[in-house]
Amino acid sequence: MTDMTHPIPRNSRLEQLRHRFLRTPLDIAVTAASLLLALFVGWKLLDWAVLSAVWTSPDGLSQPCRDASGACWAVIEARWRLILFGVFPYAEQWRAAVATAALILAGGLSCLPLFWSVIRQALLWIAAFALFMVFMHGGVFGLSSVPPAQWGGLALTLFFFVAVVIVGMPLSICLALMRRSDLPVIRGTAIILIDGVRALPLVTILFTAALILPFVLPGWLQGDKIWRVIAGFALFFAAYQAEVLRSGIQALPRGQEEAAKALGMGYFHRITRVVLPQAFRNALPPTINQLVITLMETSLIVIIGFFDLMASGNAAYGTGEWSFAYVEVYAFIALIYGVFVFSLSRYGRYLERRLRVGSS
Amino acid sequence: MPSLLRNRKFRSATLQVLFVLAVMVILVSAVTTAQDTIATNGMRSGFGFLDRTTGVNIGFSVLQYDANSTYRQLILVGLVNTAILGILGIILAHIVGLVVAAMAISRNGSLNLVAQGYVELFRSIPLILQALFWYALVTHLPAPRNAHEPLPGLFLTGRGIFMPGLSVTGEAVALVLGCLLLGAIAFAWFMIDHRFRRISDSRRRTGRLVIIGLTLLACALALNAGRVPDMPLISVPELRGLNFRGGFALPPELTALAIAIAIYGGAYVSEILRAGFQAVPRGQLEAAAALGLRPLHVFTRVHLPMAFRAVLPTLTNQCVWMFKATTLGIAVGYSDLFYVISISITQSGQTLELIGILMLGFLVMNNMISFLLNRLNKAIALKGT
Amino acid sequence: MTDTAIQIRRMNKFYGSFQVLRDINLTVRKGERIVICGPSGSGKSTLIRCINRLEDHQDGSINVLGTELNEDVGSIDLIRREVGMVFQHFNLFPHLTVLENCTLAPMLVRRFSRAEAERVAREYLERVRIPEKADAFPSELSGGQQQRVAIARALCMRPEILLFDEPTSALDPEMINEVLDVMRELAMDGMTMVCVTHEMGFARQVADRVIFMSNGEIVEENTPEAFFTNPRNERTRGFLAKILAH
Repeated sequence: MTDMTHPIPRNSRLEQLRHRFLRTPLDIAVTAASLLLALFVGWKLLDWAVLSAVWTSPDGLSQPCRDASGACWAVIEARWRLILFGVFPYAEQWRAAVATAALILAGGLSCLPLFWSVIRQALLWIAAFALFMVFMHGGVFGLSSVPPAQWGGLALTLFFFVAVVIVGMPLSICLALMRRSDLPVIRGTAIILIDGVRALPLVTILFTAALILPFVLPGWLQGDKIWRVIAGFALFFAAYQAEVLRSGIQALPRGQEEAAKALGMGYFHRITRVVLPQAFRNALPPTINQLVITLMETSLIVIIGFFDLMASGNAAYGTGEWSFAYVEVYAFIALIYGVFVFSLSRYGRYLERRLRVGSS
Repeated sequence: MPSLLRNRKFRSATLQVLFVLAVMVILVSAVTTAQDTIATNGMRSGFGFLDRTTGVNIGFSVLQYDANSTYRQLILVGLVNTAILGILGIILAHIVGLVVAAMAISRNGSLNLVAQGYVELFRSIPLILQALFWYALVTHLPAPRNAHEPLPGLFLTGRGIFMPGLSVTGEAVALVLGCLLLGAIAFAWFMIDHRFRRISDSRRRTGRLVIIGLTLLACALALNAGRVPDMPLISVPELRGLNFRGGFALPPELTALAIAIAIYGGAYVSEILRAGFQAVPRGQLEAAAALGLRPLHVFTRVHLPMAFRAVLPTLTNQCVWMFKATTLGIAVGYSDLFYVISISITQSGQTLELIGILMLGFLVMNNMISFLLNRLNKAIALKGT
Repeated sequence: MTDTAIQIRRMNKFYGSFQVLRDINLTVRKGERIVICGPSGSGKSTLIRCINRLEDHQDGSINVLGTELNEDVGSIDLIRREVGMVFQHFNLFPHLTVLENCTLAPMLVRRFSRAEAERVAREYLERVRIPEKADAFPSELSGGQQQRVAIARALCMRPEILLFDEPTSALDPEMINEVLDVMRELAMDGMTMVCVTHEMGFARQVADRVIFMSNGEIVEENTPEAFFTNPRNERTRGFLAKILAH
């Protein structure tokens, strides 16, 4: 450090702060202005969201809110079950709650190092999915049957996300491997499929899955609309994730696969034991990013008529009674998405740090 | 025979033939099933329906359109609306992104924090939620009678934003926008392409003037052709009854979507730009400063051009993405391509053909963006790297 | 036939229209130690990579341990099982520990039980003198240690033949000897070895024959004494003059 004009004493945190925030008079002015703005916005927000807010409305009516100047959280109190579970039969909503909790729990468990193996992840998610279907769909163990058309809210959103990733992840591995195949026909097909899907907006894919597949699939293969849409969404996810994985594979030195070949390992073992474990590790940050984007994109299923978190939010303030409280409802929904997105990206950062140890 | 089965070349040939056969079986069965379905439901396939009248009204259209127009016109309206929203969104998002990125890389800690907070906040809320929020906010603006008037002639209302405008037809407006866009592309190409760097300064100046002149001339001609007869050229919005008449109206759907794409896309653009700025070696900036360039010039002449080169491929993907994001116009009722296709499907039942048009439209538009930006990328790429 | 390990006859190899190997004829007996040297780009690495089919040849025949190398999938599997290879850049699997690197292929390819594979692995790690690093990851080892692990990994497959592709070129000078020592011991145990290397001291001590390649051809094939003291070919002399000058 021979730069005498701006000496930065490394040992003093206070000095560092001063250097970052108060170096020149202009900096001082900017910092002061930002601080004032932050205080002003913060105070307004605090006042609106907490101090002047109406938290509860005894008889479920909106009158107390109309008289107050702050946020009307009473709308959440009145409508939270609609937002979380949509039009699921009211008396059975505990089942939707259990099913949602199963998915969230599985998500949490799959983050633990204990579950970091393909087989354990597969078992965990199959179990979670089965549990979800038993409680959500019912029709077994004396639970009444609730068809997917009646699913909604957060439960539907999470179900969509999990189903898309469970179907899409293996598909993306297939596509990525096909794309680097030595066989020109297979490689060409993968390129057309991946680039074609990536050039189209998600909603057109979902629309196609909902409207075109009934035309071209024989009756026995059509299934409920929700499954077709999940299939289309999974293809979309897989096209993007395949490119993420491909870049992870390309980052491997060529010698890795050669060494495996020289040891006599066949294609399947080379891919599953040498290439993919390293490719996933390389591709971890963009994979987490892709998961975050996919979670947020599930909100687009509202466009093709599913009653997901987004749609149930719209319905929650859509009636005349609460139509003024749209900001509160949207804030609540944004908060729900935000919690999931935030924890996912935090986990991604933790993984990045952890995996850097133990590999070059 | 066993030795043939174990032959590597035979195996890969067989595998490929089987793969092609499987794909063909799937495609053929899909087509025959589709024909069966169409036949049993008594539908007609083909593109003859494009010339039928639609019988529906839509909200916002730059082009002449009413319920008596044909499907062909309706789809054209959707295409133009998608292009308007897409280009508006891309431009606004880049402005927002540049500002936020500049804050993120500034040496001032508080500006860093503001930029960081902005990116974290708006990237973790789904775009459609933001669009719906802005739409709710814009439509909850006061009714025209109690409109806000922040500037004389500019009215903010729940029915849209009204401002003084030229009294010309929508087609002329679309044409003018097209001319401006072409002019801008030509200008950028002329300024950036290495071929034109070698000619003398005076000829470069003439070239620039010619491009600007031609663009303005084309705009003026388009405006003149599209004059609405018996009206003053500039019309100012006036309150008549329950709504404003005259002037230029920015509908709430377009406003909300443009804001949403600008803010959400801007967060992503700023992250891309920030990475680009940070990828420029410090030595380059120090060299520029050592030559006596002032900080502003270091930024505009050295830092920005080098960062821009580094991130253009990523920005291209982001632009294509933002163009695709226009499809959520349907959530707020903006008549973009996806919206008009979906109401056409409900009206005419020609699902297969219409979705074909939709996909083709997006493939063409997105490839056009990629093509233009890739050309730009090639033109500005540093030679010898 | 039984004591022939590798027999290459009139072999040619092309990359597109560019010929990398011309009319190669080479016979290696079991237990023989061959050192291949030559200027870079002379095709010596390509030659030994043809022996375990990391590269295809277009013309002529390669016979390894009585098995003809052709498009037959079974023969490729068989030969790769019996021929071990040590690479210039080690190519250890970074996501596995040293022990797992050594047990992976024996368990998957040779169908050893885990216990058996680990016993064999520890035995060979002992022989390359790093048993204590069994649970370390490759990134925690020095270059010389990594290369010794790579040799142990190849040995764990119990190969008949070991190929070395410039095993010391990527190492810092002070680590070269620890790897050469291991290779010398292997040679003394009677392992069939084909080494591409520039370590002329190693060649002189260990090799039964030294082969000099240039421009894709085998230019000279000789005993080490004759090769170093009295090379027959002009190009060999030029090469030796350059490499032994310092």
